[in-house]
Parts: sequence; C-alpha cells; structure tokens
Amino acid sequence: MTKVLGIDLGTAITKSASIVNGEPKALENREGSILTPSIIAQTKGGERVVGILAQRQAITNPKNTISAVKRFIGRRFSDPEVQKELKLLPYETREKSDGGVEVKMGDKWYNPIEISSMILQKIKADAKDKLGEDVKNVVITCPANFDDSQRKATIAAGEIAGFNVLRVINEPTAAALAYGFGKKDAQKILVYDFGGGTFDVTILDVSPEVVEVLATGGEAHLGGNDFDQKIIDWILAEFKKEQGIDLFKDALALQRLKEAAEKAKTELSSAMETNINLPFITSDADGPKHLEYKLSRSQFDSMTSDLIAKSIDRVEKTLKEIKMDKSEINEVILVGGTTLVPAAREAVKNFFGKEPNKSINPEEVVAIGAAIEAEILTAKEEGRTPEGDIKSVLLLDVLPLSLGIETLGGVSTPMITKNTTVPTTGSQVFSTAVDNQPSVEINVLQGERSMAADNRSLGKFILDGIPPAPRGIPQVEVKFDIDANGVLTVTAIDKASNKSQSIKVEGSIGISKEDIEKMKKDAEVHAADDQKKKESIEAKNIADNLIYQSEKTIKDAGDKVTAEAKKEVEDKIAELKNIKDGDNIEEIKKKTEELSQAIQKVGAAMYQAQQQTQEPKKEEGPESAPEAETEKE
Amino acid sequence: MKKEEKTIEEIEKMLQEVDQKKEEYFLGWQREKADFLNYKKQEFERLKGTLCIAKESVFEEIIPILDNFRLAEKAISEDDKNNKSVIGLLMIKKQLEDALKALGLEEIESIGKPFDPSSHEAIEEVENGEAGIVTEEIEKGYYYNGKVLRPSKVKVGK
Repeated sequence: MTKVLGIDLGTAITKSASIVNGEPKALENREGSILTPSIIAQTKGGERVVGILAQRQAITNPKNTISAVKRFIGRRFSDPEVQKELKLLPYETREKSDGGVEVKMGDKWYNPIEISSMILQKIKADAKDKLGEDVKNVVITCPANFDDSQRKATIAAGEIAGFNVLRVINEPTAAALAYGFGKKDAQKILVYDFGGGTFDVTILDVSPEVVEVLATGGEAHLGGNDFDQKIIDWILAEFKKEQGIDLFKDALALQRLKEAAEKAKTELSSAMETNINLPFITSDADGPKHLEYKLSRSQFDSMTSDLIAKSIDRVEKTLKEIKMDKSEINEVILVGGTTLVPAAREAVKNFFGKEPNKSINPEEVVAIGAAIEAEILTAKEEGRTPEGDIKSVLLLDVLPLSLGIETLGGVSTPMITKNTTVPTTGSQVFSTAVDNQPSVEINVLQGERSMAADNRSLGKFILDGIPPAPRGIPQVEVKFDIDANGVLTVTAIDKASNKSQSIKVEGSIGISKEDIEKMKKDAEVHAADDQKKKESIEAKNIADNLIYQSEKTIKDAGDKVTAEAKKEVEDKIAELKNIKDGDNIEEIKKKTEELSQAIQKVGAAMYQAQQQTQEPKKEEGPESAPEAETEKE
Repeated sequence: MKKEEKTIEEIEKMLQEVDQKKEEYFLGWQREKADFLNYKKQEFERLKGTLCIAKESVFEEIIPILDNFRLAEKAISEDDKNNKSVIGLLMIKKQLEDALKALGLEEIESIGKPFDPSSHEAIEEVENGEAGIVTEEIEKGYYYNGKVLRPSKVKVGK
C-alpha cells in the first residue's frame, strides 16, 4: 500500500499529514514540531537551511533568508498587489524574462516555484523519516482564490520536489473533507479560517460529485499576531504608567514580552486568568524592575473584541455578496490557530446560532483533509479500498449497550461493557448463594442500569446438576461470546462436574437506535439511584455472608470458645439480622463491622488455643508426625 | 439436462466469486493481524516516547524559572555579592541546575562557538566580535534526549 501525504503549503507555515494505521494524522518534522516555517535560507557558510533553522538565523542573514514566497508563486511581477508586497521584503527580487518574479538567495536567482519546492523537499525527507518509506503521492492545498497559473505553479513545485501531485485542492475544501461533509447530500458550508497573519472566509457548496466555491472573502492582515500585540501594548502602557519606563525601546525586554504575551493568550484558551511574570525585566538607577500582571479572560476579550468583530463583519459581507442568509449555511468549520481563542468560537456560534465544527485540531485540519483526499485518489488508482474505510468492509461493529448477567440480590453484573469492538469474548467465575444449591439460573441482560429488573433480559437458562456443596464453593464459569454478526452465545460450565449449558441470542447488536438512546438516557438519569440500590444490596449480601460464616464458625468451634464470647457473637448476629433487610445502609455496614470484629476475636482465641495445645506436642519431637496423619483421616 | 448444465455453470461462477471473496477477506484479515502486531510494537515505542514528552513538558515549565534565577544573579550588585542570604539563594539556583542535569537536561554551549542555527537562535548582530561567532548568550539553550529542546538565544558578531 503506497503511503500518501496531504500538504498544507502555507505562506508562513507548512503542515503535512498522512494516513497512519487507518487514521489521518499530522506529521511532526525532524525538529519535533507539526509546524514547519515556510522559510528558506542560504547561510553565510553557503549551506541551505529550511524551516525553523532558517528562521533562527534570519536576523543575521536577512538578504539570503526567503519567506512568504507563496505571495508571488505563479504571479506577474507587474501585478500591483505583488508590487505592494515586494516593498516589504528584506530580500532582493526582480522581474523574470517571462514576466514572473525572481528572488535572490546567495548569488543565484530563483523562481518562487523552486523556493516552494525546497520547502516541499524538506517535508518529503521528514515524512520519509517519520513513515519509514519514501512518499510519492501527494495532494497539496492552496487558497480558494488561487487562479489557474498559481495552481499550475504549485503543482510544478511539488513535481520538482519529487512528488507525484495527484491534485491541488482548495484549503477550505480540504477542511470540509476532513470532516467528511457532502458524502451523502449537498451541503452549504462556511469555512472560518483565522490564522496567524490572515483571515479568510469561504462558502462552499459540497456534494458527493463536486465541490463548488460560492464565495470567498478575507482580511490580508488580521490574525493571531494582532491578538498578541494587544496584550503587549497593554503591558507596555501599564508598565509605563507604574514605573515611568518605556520598555518599547529595550529590544531584549520586548522579546521577553512577546513570548509572555503569546503564552498568556494560549493559557487564556483554557484558564479564566493568567499571570504574566517577568522579573528583572529592566533596571534603572533605583535597581532592578519587575513586571507582574494578572490578565483575566474577560479583560483579554474586551481588548480583542474589535478584531473578532472585524472577522464576523467580513463573514457577513461575504454572505451578502452572494445574497445568502446565514440560516442557509448547514455547517460552519473552524480553521486556523486563532479559532482556539474562546471568544472567537463564541462569536461564530452566536452569529450562526449553532455550534461550529471544531473537533479536529484547527491547525491540522487542512493537511488532514488533503491526506484523506490523497488516500482516496491513490486507493482508486490501485483498485483497493482506502485505508481507514476498512471498517465499513469488515463491518466491525461496536456493542451499543453493556451485556451482563443477574447476580445475587437482583444486581446486574456486566460481562462485556458497551463500546467494545466485536467479535469478542468475556468470562467470569461465579458461585452459589445457598448451601447445597443444585442449580443456577443465568439471566442474560442488556443495558447500563445497575439493577437487573431495569435492564432488558435477552434470555434465561438453568444450569443444574451442581454437586452439593456449601455456598460459595462451587465454581461456575460464565462465558459470553459475540461473533462478528452480533450473535451472542452465553455458556455456563460447572467446573466440578464439567456440566455445561448454553443459550444463543441473535441481534444483541441489532437493537433500534431509539431503544439504545432511551436505555442510555435512563442509565444516566438513574445513575445515582441505581448506585444506592446496588450499594444497599451489596451491603446486605456482605451481611448475609458474614452471618452465615459466623454461625458456622460458632457451630464448628463447639466448646472451644467461651460462653461469653459465643454470646457476644450471637447477640451481634441477632442485631444484624434485625436490620439487614432495611434501607439503612450505614447501619447495616456498622453492624456488619461489629460482628466482623466479634467473630475475629473468637477466631483469634481459637487460634491461640490451638497453638497452646500444639506446643507441648512439639516437645515430644518425632511423634508429632503420626499425629498429623490421623488428623488427615 | 440443459437446465442442469446451466446450474453447474452458475455454481462454478458462484464458487469463483466466493473464492475471490475468501481471498480478499483472508488477505484483509492477515493485514489486520499484522497491523495489530505492528501496532503493539509501535505502542511500546510510543510509551517510551511519552515518557520523554512528559519530561519535556516538565522541563519547559521549569527552565523559565531558571532563566529568571540567572537574570536575578546578573542583577546582584557588587555590595550584595558577599551577603550570606544572596549566597544561599544562589546555592538554590545551583541545586535546581543540578537536578535538571540529573534528569538528562544538557546545556548547549554557545559563547565563542560559530553560530549554528540548529542549536542557536540569533537575536541580534553586533559590530564588536568576530564575524559569525557567538559573542553573547541572552538565554541558555538545552538538549534533551539528543534533541534541541530550546535553542540558545544569542548575539552574533557581524
């Protein structure tokens, strides 16, 4: 089976994903990160470095560090938009003979396609490291508004890197694929993509045959960096107010502030408040200065509300462009790291009045969708089923509800718990409840409730012919076996006589969805009640057992115990018998404990007495051996 | 008679189909089984990896504390250097460094070495100093388990 890759070739960051053990998964690069900066550099030593390494040396080598080349791929040098971007670059560019853009790195001029291919080469090498084999087949993503020439250039970059580019698909389309939308019916999907530096909104019409882009819109300079900047500005202002020092002029302090701001933003995604602690941030004539602030999520939300409002505004405008009402959107997908900001999620949810799709990591979702598409295309080419769809061929179902049997006191004891993948088996050993019990009844149950009466009985059978024995001694093994078709076979075997009995139940899986939901809901609603009932029965069972054991001990002991001790145990037994059928669990537990202590005392006394009688015998030496033999008889 | 012949043909066709299916399922089953065995092996490796990741995340939380200790050390005035309390605090810093080292954290050397982006991150280029050589370390970098946990933040000679 050929391994595939999905590549999200971004302006600032590139990500890749593959299918690993049937599941799409984002791949880490050699440096251990899922994110590879889309940066290439030729170092002063003439070495070519890509990704994070290129980023680390950028400040010492700005002229030979090439970033954001995606802005120029497949575009004309004379394009006014390109011209605007070119002015912001630290590296040299010129017009190519065919009207395209060329960038200078070292002493050589490169086409943006070549630069992109260098990034892809690193992705290829890192994927080989990770997957253990060379990867050829890829799907690369591009923005929805890329034109034909930009798409062709993207394919060329992939091919130069040594890939077989199966297809170039739109980033929002990949996100929709990752969620598996449009497989059955046509759906209108809005993709809200809030990245580090840009915001994009795309409206798609996804159906099984075709994905149509209905509208696109965006803000070229709106992203997570702006959120960080808001925190930085706030700290700078606060610090100036308090200390009268402007940290903006201190490059090192600013660097620490930037990292702290990003960390605070990340922490506020899960925490309601975060501490920004930067001791020794600077110093003046009075000595060192420390910076310490608390930032709450609500403070952060109010600082950044204009940024989120701007994105929602853009969504509204894009809908308006195609005269679509927000109620017509079937699904909303969140893409990009900035959608991890809770206020952004909340704003999208409130605008559409429904929960957006966010279960797949928004930073990986595009690469994952591309990997899925690559796998589907490769599988088709090779005439096989796509990996990950294998489940549908083998029909490996999971058990919708737990299966168990009824045990002493009407308790439902689970044998196989719900969500277990079938075929599977489970077995447990049980015993009898009374002395000389000749048979056991096996009541097969389905459901999540603690009490047998509240679950559904799938069938009953009786295993008889158990040889007479005190309670708790016989060993009856109960085995549940479910085959791939959901046929349940329950077998009970008495281990002493090897006698067995079994029952077959069909359709232990095939129960209607409504029933399953009802039973699951019931279980949730009654969880507390059931637990109490179960505890009370368990307490009663323990009490019963102890009474039985105690009575037996006293009887067996005969005159070896003092009348006084015997009386105490008998009293405690009577007390426990009086209350054990009541509802007061605590009282039953207490009395059980008291009896347990009383009987332990008797046991200890008996043990001591036995030792004392044995001790003189020991002195007799070898003669103790035959004595032992007679005891055996 | 004719009818019977057709039936045999049909049966043969069925048999062929069944055979094909059998082959498909058998191969799928073999693959699934192999996948499972491989999965178990990978799971073992992953467990080892998880241990490393767990340690890494502890390092990532503790290293910034050590950074601040170093900043504090730098800020100690000459007069305070012999103060017993200050000396005691610096001993705690040393203790923290030793504990991290014992857990497998290694410091990246930088000052006086040629700038290397695989373990150094350039913050600034400075006029004084040999070209391409690290002149000053702003923040210490670390290796863990043969990997750069965090690069050293450095100033480099122009």
